[in-house]
Amino acid sequence: MDELPLYSERPEWVDVVPIPQYQDVDALAPINYSEEYQDATDYFRGIVKTEEMSPRVLQLTEHIIRLNPAHYSAWQYRYRTLIALESSLEDELRLMDAFAIEFLKTYQVWHHRRLLLTALRSVDAAAAELAFIARALEADTKNYHTWSYRQWLLAHFNDEDLLWSGERAWTENLLERDVRNNSAWHHRFFFVWGSGVRKGDEDREEILRRELTFTKEKIALAPNNPSAWNYLRGVLGHTGTPYASLSPFVKPYTATSVEKIDVVDLDNPVPSEGAELPCVMALEFLADTFEQEGGSQIPKAVETWKLLANEFDTMRKKYWEYRIKEALQASEP
Amino acid sequence: MTSSEVKQTYARSQRPTPVDGYPTSTSTLQTATENILLKQLLDSSRIPGDASPPSTTGPVLQRNQHLQFLLRNLLQGFPQRYVSQDASQPWLLFWTLQGFSVLGVGLDDKIKKRARETLLALQHPDGGFAGGPGQFSHLLPTYAAVCSLAIVGQPGQSGAWDAIDRRKMYDFFMSLKQPDGSFLVSHDAEVDVRGIYCLLAVATLLNILTPELLAGLPEFIVSCQTYEGGFGNASFPEWDFQEENDEVTRVPSAPRPVLGEAHGGYTFCAFASWVLLQPYIRSYYTPAGSANTNPTIDYRALLRWLANMQGTAIELGGFKGRTNKLVDGCYSWWVGGCFGLVEGLLGIHAAPPASTGVNENSASTTADTSAGGASDDGWHDADDALLNRRALQEYILYAGQHPAGGLRDKPPKPADSYHTLYCLAGLSAAQHRVTPDETRRAQLLERWNAGEARQWDVSGLQNLITDQQARADALRKDVFASTLSWLEDEGADEYIGGSGNRVNATQPLFNLTVTHTELMMAHFYGQKLPPRQAKTPPKSK
Ligand SMILES: [Zn+2]
Repeated sequence: MDELPLYSERPEWVDVVPIPQYQDVDALAPINYSEEYQDATDYFRGIVKTEEMSPRVLQLTEHIIRLNPAHYSAWQYRYRTLIALESSLEDELRLMDAFAIEFLKTYQVWHHRRLLLTALRSVDAAAAELAFIARALEADTKNYHTWSYRQWLLAHFNDEDLLWSGERAWTENLLERDVRNNSAWHHRFFFVWGSGVRKGDEDREEILRRELTFTKEKIALAPNNPSAWNYLRGVLGHTGTPYASLSPFVKPYTATSVEKIDVVDLDNPVPSEGAELPCVMALEFLADTFEQEGGSQIPKAVETWKLLANEFDTMRKKYWEYRIKEALQASEP
Repeated sequence: MTSSEVKQTYARSQRPTPVDGYPTSTSTLQTATENILLKQLLDSSRIPGDASPPSTTGPVLQRNQHLQFLLRNLLQGFPQRYVSQDASQPWLLFWTLQGFSVLGVGLDDKIKKRARETLLALQHPDGGFAGGPGQFSHLLPTYAAVCSLAIVGQPGQSGAWDAIDRRKMYDFFMSLKQPDGSFLVSHDAEVDVRGIYCLLAVATLLNILTPELLAGLPEFIVSCQTYEGGFGNASFPEWDFQEENDEVTRVPSAPRPVLGEAHGGYTFCAFASWVLLQPYIRSYYTPAGSANTNPTIDYRALLRWLANMQGTAIELGGFKGRTNKLVDGCYSWWVGGCFGLVEGLLGIHAAPPASTGVNENSASTTADTSAGGASDDGWHDADDALLNRRALQEYILYAGQHPAGGLRDKPPKPADSYHTLYCLAGLSAAQHRVTPDETRRAQLLERWNAGEARQWDVSGLQNLITDQQARADALRKDVFASTLSWLEDEGADEYIGGSGNRVNATQPLFNLTVTHTELMMAHFYGQKLPPRQAKTPPKSK
């Protein structure tokens, strides 16, 4: 804010008794505040003490939040004041649009929106939020709070046509731009598997096929992408599908180089030309497939884990050795 | 392996993360970071491929510089850019005070007294602690304040422990409870597993854990595990728990999706909560006739996810916090420290050593390591830890230390208080092994004084019918013995760069030393602690 005088110098604040932060305490590890911040927060403590809720409280809390968006008490007090004054929550939301971009990383920015949307009870407002969130994610594609807020919004308003219906296309677009964006993969799992059945998705066999096809294509594009492999495992686990059903697909990714294949199998796209093989995640998948099959396949699982432990993923040597020990103990008669 | 084979393996293990000829913004950032880390490694003393013993070529913990950094913050305070931490003041203190503890430095009485007075100024009249004086109570600063008081406080007049208003704290906690068992972090604020962890840690330390407080929490934690195996920050409750006019109707078959992807910080908090909930799960779920089915998490998926968070050699073995994100020093603790919790709860170290002839190199590996030298790629260790302890230490020592003191996310970032503690705590987790000890547990159970412990009750249990009171007593006893059974395995320690780099062990449930944990809990549970004995005789070196 440009050059506003301190609250202690403004006549309209003269009735408020500012409260300094530490009284009679020689505080350890103090923060060196600017005079502006110190002054504003002294008056904030004064306001909280008298439980004043008035338009000037909105001005004061906005000021503090601009200086320190992580001041959760200023946010909370602001929200209570908005409700007490029956202020326009739409106006507040517009003010928040500017805040959100400026203070993208701050949790409170997103939680405040959530409170506003809850109070507004409007599906249309929620739909507009989806567009706003999409813009915010342009600036920071993996912002945890933004993603988390989007998921809450979808579930809370839970409207198939206005909210859920666009999620798949939108997320696919994000994955087209960056197939390694794990937040987008998690989001896909959230709306396809985590949140009940979407309209048009009632045939679960079909959805499973669709998701496997999608994931396999994405793996083919950039095989060493843990996000895609994790999604694949998530889908198989969620639907109780045996890993072995994926063996024809996984095999070429465990080879040491890209093999020329004459017959094109649309169900099982092969690694792209630039693929760096073998893919550690494919080897791991192969080993887990053997382990699931059990019995005489266990030694093959052990061989594959050894390859990982001693050659292709030596950082996790201990982990692979643990897997070997565990599988051998479980398979003992 | 021959030495040239070793070098080959080493070179391969330092290969860049594959881009598969298909760069995206994630891989471009990853590649750039790997270049920075590799340069950092080359600039420091170690030559890649050189497998000579770390004691001669290893990195050095710049103990003095870090102490100066902490001391400067403590006494001179924090520069203006720390205004963003104005609502996290007890955290600034905790990071600093616990940083001293991990470095093995005690504080003089004058500083401790000032710390106590500062912390008590943050206690809210309605219970709990706030991020600063005159701010509102919040679960996160409550943890930071109580743990700081574990370090600088003591019983008795002006020792600050008895000035913690436990009754009001309990009321504050209960006022945050949600129909799904979870808690808001503060009034009009969010639900978040960090808050759950903070609440459970504090309630455990202060002896205010009750069945009423914990109801529904295990199921909530379970619902936060993602398909990747790690945990997200919360789950969505409204389909499962429908609230109308203060009445909650349950639709247990309704989905309860997790919000947010698997994340290192949330995973630590969710899993540490899970460990802290074990006594409650034991006594309120398992018994025959109990209506509750046992809540379970997927341990295998969790372990897999944790293991995959460790970066490869080119990332110097540091930890990342999410799939396809960058390594960062603070995850040394959030993820690195989480291994200790999982291994401890599952008793992985208690398992007999592999006698399966699984690894042809195992005989020579063991011989190498027990002789004090690094074997093969220099990262094999003798114990069964599932993370690469040596590599993690290297990340912290090579990339985590700022030349001017303090520790950091990664080069070229500046040091800060938060990363200083969590890098040091991660170093501690990589050096030591702290796990539950059955002998200690039995000893604590045997010496348990129920009457004394009940004196400290804040939940009005005296008014309960006898049966409920007895169960709550049993819970309190189990919580006390289970929590304090986590002790260091003497002889399981391992130091990169020699034992001069040793930092103190830290109790993984709280990130406090075992001694600070014991003193505080003994006080609030009214117990006299039997002397501790070393779990196993120290390894001869
Ligand atoms: Zn960090």
